[in-house]
Amino acid sequence: MKKTSLFTICLVIFIVCWIFLRFVIGGIISAPIPNTVIAMYMALIFIAILVHVSVEDSRFTEFLRPVNETLLDDNKRTRRLILVILIPLLLSGYTYSNIAQKASPLGDPRQAHPKPPLDLTYKDEVIDTMQKAHNPYRKYEKEDPELFKEHVENGRSVYYKNCFFCHGDHLDGKGHFAAALNPLPANFQDPGIIPNYQESFFFWRISKGGPGLPNEGTPWNTAMPIWEDILTQEEIWDVIIFLSEYTGYTYRTFGEGH
Amino acid sequence: MRITMLTLTSLFILACVVMLPSFGQEAQEGSLIGKQVYEESCAHCHGLEGRGDGSGAENLLPRPRDFTRGLYKIRSTESGQLPTDKDLFDIITVGMPGTSMPGWETSLSTNEREEVVKYIKTFFSGFQENEKPPREVRLADKIPYSKESVEIGKGLYVELGCVECHGNLGRGDGTSAPTLVDAWDFKTWPANLTENWNFRGGSDPEDIFKRFIGGIAGSPMPAFQGDTFYHFGLTPEQSEQYAALEKKVEDGEELTTEEEELAAQYFEINDTAATAALDWAEGLEMSPETLKIYNDAMKVVYEKSWHLANYVKSLSPEKRPEFAIGKHVLRSQYIQGELPALADETWNTLEFSYYPLFGQIVVEPRQFNPSIDSVNVKSFYNDTEVVFLFSWDDKTHNTSEEENEETGKTYQDAIAIQFPVRPPKGPTDPKPYFLWGGKKPVYLWQWKASAPDTLTELTAKGIDKAEEQEAQGNFAVESDYTDGKYSLWVKRSLKTDDKKDLQLDVATFVPIAFSVWDGGNGDIDTKRVISSWYSFVLEPLPSTRRFIYPPLVALLSFGLLVGLRRFIQRRNS
Ligand code: HEC
Ligand code: HEC
Ligand code: HEC
Repeated sequence: MKKTSLFTICLVIFIVCWIFLRFVIGGIISAPIPNTVIAMYMALIFIAILVHVSVEDSRFTEFLRPVNETLLDDNKRTRRLILVILIPLLLSGYTYSNIAQKASPLGDPRQAHPKPPLDLTYKDEVIDTMQKAHNPYRKYEKEDPELFKEHVENGRSVYYKNCFFCHGDHLDGKGHFAAALNPLPANFQDPGIIPNYQESFFFWRISKGGPGLPNEGTPWNTAMPIWEDILTQEEIWDVIIFLSEYTGYTYRTFGEGH
Repeated sequence: MRITMLTLTSLFILACVVMLPSFGQEAQEGSLIGKQVYEESCAHCHGLEGRGDGSGAENLLPRPRDFTRGLYKIRSTESGQLPTDKDLFDIITVGMPGTSMPGWETSLSTNEREEVVKYIKTFFSGFQENEKPPREVRLADKIPYSKESVEIGKGLYVELGCVECHGNLGRGDGTSAPTLVDAWDFKTWPANLTENWNFRGGSDPEDIFKRFIGGIAGSPMPAFQGDTFYHFGLTPEQSEQYAALEKKVEDGEELTTEEEELAAQYFEINDTAATAALDWAEGLEMSPETLKIYNDAMKVVYEKSWHLANYVKSLSPEKRPEFAIGKHVLRSQYIQGELPALADETWNTLEFSYYPLFGQIVVEPRQFNPSIDSVNVKSFYNDTEVVFLFSWDDKTHNTSEEENEETGKTYQDAIAIQFPVRPPKGPTDPKPYFLWGGKKPVYLWQWKASAPDTLTELTAKGIDKAEEQEAQGNFAVESDYTDGKYSLWVKRSLKTDDKKDLQLDVATFVPIAFSVWDGGNGDIDTKRVISSWYSFVLEPLPSTRRFIYPPLVALLSFGLLVGLRRFIQRRNS
């Protein structure tokens, strides 16, 4: 069997890399990668290949051999003809599809958990600083489990009267209104949420809702209501307790991590 | 030694005595797992004692089911029968679309779901008292979906009176729709048969078939079994003859003796079959002859019902229209010259853009139980004007009859279309708050059913801070309500003189959002259904560059290839 030429190997590597970026990473593993980013990676790979083949003169000549042959040899006429027709055709097709594509509006870049303000407030009353504020009913977990259970149950009732429409019965962000919302409601079963934030952060998000977010959180889009208009402080702390009791996660406490 | 033996034995006996009744009880009350699962996952809606009165229940319609009466909607069993265990297991697994009853497939294991089925059965004694298993609806002679079958079904839809509740075209707008209540006296609405993704028990012809043969227990929708069918017991030919005879009598014509005999015979067959059906429904012992009469009669009924199921299936699109949340773009298409009127055929050349809506539960008073599922929009524009066609399903036509005691306002159907006053300059340029603006104002077009030919321009800085603009723009407006569907046609010029209005430019993306009110569902002020922000654009004509650049690129690359060959040739020589 003929030895595969260096050029073919490089071409195959190049194409495999593109397929990997475009369809495997940007499809199966995560969301599609923007074309400009793919182009950047591909340029890097192209340069790497060039460097690799041009370190020695002999290797470079070997690399260019099939190119030379295709362009010059008399016995490669058909291949040459096919390439000379195919390449311009593909390129012009690509140009056409690019121009004919409908323009799309740019999405809002959105930061999901932006930095909270320094002070935690309920309506206009300052509770404490964001770092020091803590759930006043949390202590009953150890001191008075019966009383704690009452707070959990109250939180449950608050949740199913107000929140499950969006955040879902299983707290997974898939409530029966959720499909029509953009951004989607938070999924409290996601291990990246409750364990990474303090209860005071949750109190802030719940009491001030979407409109309380700083600009990078696109406050104009989110349907998360301003709950301080509807719920009491105790109800908010209770629903915060319920979220962790139901999911089994514990909130981050001040001083650990980050 | 003997003493220890004795104590041990007596302890053992004691333990047995103590545990015996508890074993018996456990079998009756369902296992501990079932109870645990129920109390953790179901009780806040269905109530600790299964009465449908959990703490979350008060905001919900349909109410979470009260399990103490043994009324189940989604069954594979005949009318008046309890559901099978599999029915209960399946409904708990997939949930009930269009209601707050979620599916538990991912959050409860198969075993947990089986145990909770056993547990909810303990709330109704009928399950224990029943010795015989419930009778299931026979699905054997299914008639496959076809155009002909749908045609036959259409006739039956009228014949059986489905129209009275579900309306002419199935949008749930029948004449009795506003009056219906369920077995617990809560308001209930006939299903919109054109949106079968909201069917509680599935959208396949088999599911639909089971619903009207077996009925939807607890709901006012009757079970269409046996003698509810016209001329029950007669074959279609006999029924036709009988109908002709009946008509003659009605018209005051004399029947011949033969005809009279025939009529009497048919009456007899109908009567016997109806009596047989009654015996069957009550579970009485039946002689083989009566059973045969009943079975023959039911054959005709089943056949008709399959046609009807196929017809109901045909009323909805094959699947729910796709919507890409937030990304979906309403593209207005360019037309040279006159824009199409409301009834113009030109509209049919465009696909609707479909926008799902959700209950406004952000600000009090809230709408927890929305009755409108979505709004559809199409649009055209020309060099000076733009025209929109909005349509949405609404089961009732409320133009302002009922007054709210507190506010003195009237419940009526309405829609508002929301834009920012100025399109944002880029993705990081803040938009107004999606709920009628905030610090940044929004520009609104509001239409109300009481003034069907006018559109009001509003500027709002919050859901309760909307003001009518002093200078009202020039709109051409037409609207229509037929068979449970609103159509609203609005035309405006692209540019206006009013600074508070949105000015439209070709190819500029403009955020757009919707609010819809259904007066019949108690919608008023903030109580309404709403959407997130979407995008609207006057779609530019395809660029002519698409004919110039591609050939240019082809030519250039061809030249390059030829040049390359020349270059290498020259270098080699
Ligand atoms: C109308 C729908 C809706 C309702 C009702 C609702 N939320 Fe939300 N919520 C959202 C959306 C959408 C988001 C994600 C966007 C955002 O962060 O604002 C969210 C985000 C949150 C977050 C922020 C999580 C994070 O990771 O930053 C918390 C906490 C939260 N909701 C709690 C609640 C609680 C508690 C209730 C009930 C008292 C509730 N929500 C009711 C829509 C809703
Ligand atoms: C958020 C509230 C809610 C929760 C939680 C909930 N349900 Fe329901 N459930 C409903 C509502 C509402 C209905 C009635 C829907 C209707 O009548 O159309 C219902 C109906 C039912 C039905 C009757 C189905 C039929 O065919 O008529 C069963 C069975 C049921 N639920 C079981 C459960 C079980 C088991 C759980 C817990 C694992 C559960 N539900 C949790 C709201 C809920
Ligand atoms: C008395 C009024 C009434 C009549 C007559 C009636 N329906 Fe209904 N129908 C209802 C109501 C109310 C519901 C909603 C039941 C619920 O979900 O609680 C319904 C629901 C349905 C559904 C949806 C089932 C599901 O899984 O959600 C179908 C399909 C249906 N009807 C078909 C029919 C057909 C076909 C007929 C004629 C043979 C008919 N109905 C006659 C009142 C009626």
